[in-house]
Amino acid sequence: MKKKIQWGKFSKPMILVAFVIILTILRPDSFPTLGNISNVLWSVSVYGIMVCGTIFVFLVGGIDLSIGSLCGLSAVVIVKTIHAFGDTEGGVAAGIMAALLVGALAGVIHGFVITKFKVPAFLVTFATSSIFLGLSMVLTNNKIISCLGPDLFTAIGMMKILGFPIPIYVMLIIAIVSWFVLRKTPFGRYMYAIGGNPAAARLSGINDTGLTFLAYIFSGISTALGGIVLASMTQQCMASTGSGYETEVITAAVIGGVSLLGGEGTVPGAIFGAVIIGLLNNGLNLMSVPSTEHGLVKGIVIIAAVAFDALQHQDQAKKGFSFFSFGKSKKTA
Amino acid sequence: MKQTTVRHLISLGMLLVLIVMFSILSPYFLSPDNLLEVARDASVVGIIGVGVTYVIITAGIDLSTGSAMALVGMTMANIYAYTVWPIWIMLVFGILVGLLAGLFNGFVVARLHLPEFIATLATMGIYRALTYAIAIRDAGGVIQSQAMTDSGFTALGGAAGPVYLVTIALIAAIVIGQIVLKYTRFGTNLYAVGASQKAAALSGINIAKVRILAYVVTGFCVAVGAIFTTARLQSTTALLGDGFEFDPIAAAVVGGVALSGGSGDIVGTLIGALFMAALDNGVLKLHMNTAYQYIIKGIILILVVMFDAWYKGRMEKAAQEKGVKEAAAENE
Amino acid sequence: MSEKGETILEAKEIFKAFSGVPVLQGVHFDVRKGEVHALMGENGAGKSTLIKIITGVYSKDRGSIFWEGKEVEINSYKDCQRLGIACIYQELSVIPPLTVAQNVYLGREPKKGGLIDYKKMNEMTAELIARYDFPLKPETIVANLGIGQRQLIEILKGLSCNSRLLIMDEPTASLSGKEAESLFSIINTLRKNGVSIIYISHRLEEVYRLADRLTVLRDGKNAAVLDQADIQPLRVIELMIGKTVDESAGSSKQMRVSKNEVRLDVRGLTDETGRFRDISFTAHKGEILGFGGLIGAGRTELVRAIYGIDKFKSGEVYLDGKKLNPSPKRSIKAGFGFVPEDRRQQGFIPLLSIEKNVALTNYDIVKRNGAAISDASELAMCKEAIKKIDIRPADPEKAVGLLSGGNQQKVVLGKWLMRDLKVLIIDEPTAGIDVGAKNEIYELLESLAKQGVTVLLVSSDLQELIRVSHRILVMRKGSIVKEFDKETVTQAMVLAAAQGLEESKEAAS
Repeated sequence: MKKKIQWGKFSKPMILVAFVIILTILRPDSFPTLGNISNVLWSVSVYGIMVCGTIFVFLVGGIDLSIGSLCGLSAVVIVKTIHAFGDTEGGVAAGIMAALLVGALAGVIHGFVITKFKVPAFLVTFATSSIFLGLSMVLTNNKIISCLGPDLFTAIGMMKILGFPIPIYVMLIIAIVSWFVLRKTPFGRYMYAIGGNPAAARLSGINDTGLTFLAYIFSGISTALGGIVLASMTQQCMASTGSGYETEVITAAVIGGVSLLGGEGTVPGAIFGAVIIGLLNNGLNLMSVPSTEHGLVKGIVIIAAVAFDALQHQDQAKKGFSFFSFGKSKKTA
Repeated sequence: MKQTTVRHLISLGMLLVLIVMFSILSPYFLSPDNLLEVARDASVVGIIGVGVTYVIITAGIDLSTGSAMALVGMTMANIYAYTVWPIWIMLVFGILVGLLAGLFNGFVVARLHLPEFIATLATMGIYRALTYAIAIRDAGGVIQSQAMTDSGFTALGGAAGPVYLVTIALIAAIVIGQIVLKYTRFGTNLYAVGASQKAAALSGINIAKVRILAYVVTGFCVAVGAIFTTARLQSTTALLGDGFEFDPIAAAVVGGVALSGGSGDIVGTLIGALFMAALDNGVLKLHMNTAYQYIIKGIILILVVMFDAWYKGRMEKAAQEKGVKEAAAENE
Repeated sequence: MSEKGETILEAKEIFKAFSGVPVLQGVHFDVRKGEVHALMGENGAGKSTLIKIITGVYSKDRGSIFWEGKEVEINSYKDCQRLGIACIYQELSVIPPLTVAQNVYLGREPKKGGLIDYKKMNEMTAELIARYDFPLKPETIVANLGIGQRQLIEILKGLSCNSRLLIMDEPTASLSGKEAESLFSIINTLRKNGVSIIYISHRLEEVYRLADRLTVLRDGKNAAVLDQADIQPLRVIELMIGKTVDESAGSSKQMRVSKNEVRLDVRGLTDETGRFRDISFTAHKGEILGFGGLIGAGRTELVRAIYGIDKFKSGEVYLDGKKLNPSPKRSIKAGFGFVPEDRRQQGFIPLLSIEKNVALTNYDIVKRNGAAISDASELAMCKEAIKKIDIRPADPEKAVGLLSGGNQQKVVLGKWLMRDLKVLIIDEPTAGIDVGAKNEIYELLESLAKQGVTVLLVSSDLQELIRVSHRILVMRKGSIVKEFDKETVTQAMVLAAAQGLEESKEAAS
C-alpha cells in the first residue's frame, strides 16, 4: 500500500491561513495591525487556557456547563482576596491560590456528584453554574470591583515578554503540560479509553470513576486559571465576568476536533479551535457585527460540527455492527 | 401509580416546608395578596414547564427556553412598533416563532442526532443572537427596550377579579397538558420513547416524530409564556428571559420528572413551579440579596437529582434482593 | 377456516447466504394449527436466520413461504402483523412506566371522543387475560413486574392482534424455575386455543415436555423432523451434532495434558445473585480448561468474578498458592488476561488505533523516557503483536473500530500476549469470526498453553470446546456438573451433561 497524502493533516493550518488572509483582505486597515493581533492573542489565550483543562472532561465523555460562571467566580475570588490583603503582592499570591482552590473544589463537587450518583454531567454543571453565579453576585454585591494594583497582579494579564503578553505564555505552558499528559502518559491514554468505551476500559484495569473525577478537577483548575488571567487583563471583576464562556470553550473544542461524545480530540486541535474562535470573534467585531449576535455563528458551528461527528460515529458503529452480527468478513489471505 | 404518588408527596412536603419556613420568617408571606403573587410568578414557569416536562419525559432537555422567549417577545415588539396590525396578529406571529424555535430544536435533536443539551445550548445562543439582531434600536443604534402599551395587550398581564389571567392560563395549561399526557396516544408515546427508544421502535412508534413534537409543544408553551410576560411588563428587551431556562427544568426535576426519561407528569411540575416561585418570593420578602435565589435553586436542584438517583438505586437493589430471595427459596 | 392439525405456515426449500457463505441450504419447515413446534440446532445451524426470514427481517435468496396454503411475501413487521405472526423477542420491548393494558395496546389504543378510552382498553385486556388465564392485571405498572410477567405481556400483545402464530426465541433464558413453569402452562392453554407456537430453545427438557413436533437443523439443512413420540433426548443430541462429526480432529494432535503444578485454584466461589454457586476447580500450568454449558448456565458470570469485574459473595481464588482479592487491576498485575464475550461492547476502544489498544494494559512494561511513554517502544510492541498474530491490515495507526471481527478479536487478544501472562480467560473467542481467523486463534491458544499459560476457555461451540480444551468442566444452572478428559469426551457427552441428562456416558458408546 502506497501512502496517500493525508490532506486531513494540513486542513487545520490551511483553514487558519485562509482565515487570516480573508480577514486581511476584508479589513486591511484594522486586522493586520500589531494592536489588533495582540488583542486576538489575549482573548485566544483565555479560551486556550480553559480548553486545555476542559478537554479532559470532553475526552471522558462529560461536559462542563459551569465554565463561564466558575471563571467569573474565580476572578471575583482573586480580586476580593487581593483587596483583603490590602493590594499587596502577598495578596496576589494568596489570591491565585484561593482562586485555584475554588476551581479545584468546584471540580471535586462535579466529580463527586457525577461519578457517585451517576447524575448526568450537564445537569450537575448546569446547577452549579447557577450556584457559582449566585456566589459571585453575593461577593461583589452586584457591582463592578476594579483592581488596579499591585503591579504583580496587572502583570499577569498585561505585561509583555518579547512582545507577547504573559497570558500567551501561560497558555503555552498549560497546553504543553496538558499535551504531554494526554499524549505521553498512560494516564492520558486512559482518558481516551474511558471516553471511547468505558466498559472495555474497566476490563483493562482502568479506574474509570477515579479518572473521571480527576478530569473534572482539571477542568475546574484550568477554568479558574482562565478567570485569574481574565481578571488581571481587565483589571476588574463582576458577577458576569466570564458569562457565556462555556459556549466559547465548547465551540473551540468542537472546532478543534474534540468529540463531545468522548474519546476523541487533541490539545493542539483544541488550541487551534481557540485560535479560530479568537479570530472569528475578532473578525465579526471588525465587520461591525455586535458581540451580542456572535452566538448565531457559534451556535451553527456547534450544531454543524457535532452533527458531523455524530454521523461519523454512527457510520463506524454500523460498519462494526455488520461485521459482528453476521460474522461476514473478507478472507484476509 | 403508587410510586408517582409517593414522589408527589415528597415534592409537596418540600413545598410545605418552604412555606412554613417563610411564613414564620415573614408574617406577610401567607397573606392572600402575596399568595396570588406567588401563583402569578409560578404561572409562566409552570406553563413553559408543561412543554419542558414533555421533553424531559422523552429523556431530552431544553436549555433554550429563555432565549426563545426573548425571540418571541422581540418578534412581537417589531410588529408592534413597525406595523399597524391588530394585536391578535401580533400574538399569532409570536406563537408562530415559538413553534418554529421548537421545531428547529426538535430537528437538530431528532434528525441531526445531537445530544439534547448540546443542541439546545447551541440554539440558546442562536435564538439570543437573533433577538439582538432584530432588536429595536434608536437612531444611534443603541438597543432600546420596546414599550407595548396597547390596552388590549396589557390586559393579558392583568387580573380577572382577584386572580391573574396568567394563572388562569396556567390552570388551563396544566389541565390540558395532563390530559394530553395521560389520555392521548402522543402522551403515551412520550413515555414509551423516554423509557426505551428501542422498545418504542419495536412497537412501531415513530421516535423522531414524537421527540420533535415534544419540542414543538415546548415552543408553543414558551410563546404563551412570553406573551404573558411581556404583557405584564408592558415592554420587552433583548435580555428577556436571560437565565430563565433554569426554572422550568428545576420545576420539573423538583416535581419528580426523571431526567433519565419515562416518568413524571404535569402535576409534579406544577408543584415544582410553585416551589420555585415561593422560593423567589420568600427571598425577596425577606429582603435578602436576590443572588441567594441562584445559589439556593442550584443547590436544591443538585440535592433533588442526587436524592432521586439514590432512591432509584435503592429501589433497584431492593428489587434485585427480592429476586435473589425468590431464587433461593426455589433452590430449597 | 382451518381445522386443528392443518398446516398454517410452510417454508419450502429456503436458501440464504451471507456474502457467499451459505447459511440455509434448502430448509423445509412447517407449522400446524395449534401445535408447539420446537426448533433446535447448534449455534450457527441457521435457526435464527430461518426465523428472521419468516418474520421478514432478512429476505430469502430462494424458496417460498405459504400461509394457510397461499404463497406470501413477508418483508416487514407490518406484513407479519397482517398475517397474524408475532415474535416474542428475547430483548423485551415492554415500556416499564406504562400499565399492562397500555403496553398491550401501545399504538392501537381504543379511543372515545379523541381520547384514549381506558375503561374499554382495560376491559379488553382483562378479557384477553381471562381467556388465557394469565397471572396479570390490566392496570399494574409494568415496572413493578418481574421479567417473567413482562414476557407474558409480550405474548398478550401478540394475541391482542389476533396472532395465530407466536414465535418464542429462548423464552426461558432469563426466567426463574417458577416463572418458566407458569409460562409452560400458558403455552399449553394457548395450544388448546388453537394458537401455533414456534419454540426455539437450547434446552432439551423443555422441548421434550412441550413440543408436538421438533425440527432439528444442522449446518443449514434439515437434520430431521420428529413427531412427539420420536423426541428422545439422546437421539436429538445425535441429530444436532450429526454422526459425521470428526471426533479425531481434536485428539489426533497429541497434546501433552499438563500435569504440572496447580496454577489456579478456585474454592467454593458463590456470587450474590445465585448465578453460580459453590464452584471449585483447579487449573494447571499449561492447561486449557474448557467450560461447557448452555447459555445462562453461569459460565460468563463465573469467569468475570474470577477476573474481578463482578464481586462474589463467598469463596476464594488462589494463584500459584497465593490468595487473590480480584479486581481487574490487581488481576492484570498478578498475570491474568481477559478477553470478554462481547467484543464490541467490552473488548476494545473503537476510535483508538491498534497501537493504543494493544498498549492499553501494558504501560507498566512500555519503556519510558523520563515520565513520557516511549513512542518507539509502544510502536515496537504493536508491531510485535501484529507480527505474532497476523493482524490485518498491519497498520498500527488504523482505528480498531474499522477492522473485521476476526482482526478486532486478535487486537483484544494481542494486548495480553505482550505481557508475562499466567492465566488467560477467554469467553466465546470466535463468535462471529470467519473460519480462517478461528483456526489462527485456536493455534494461538495452543501455543500459549505450550508456553505454560493456563487458559480458561468459555465456549458454546462444542466442536471448538473439544478441539481446544485439555479438560472440560460442564456447568448447568450455576454449578459444575461434570468433568471430562480430552481423551474420552465427545460432543454428545458435553451436550448431554449440559442438558442434565444422566445417561451421557452411554451416549458416547
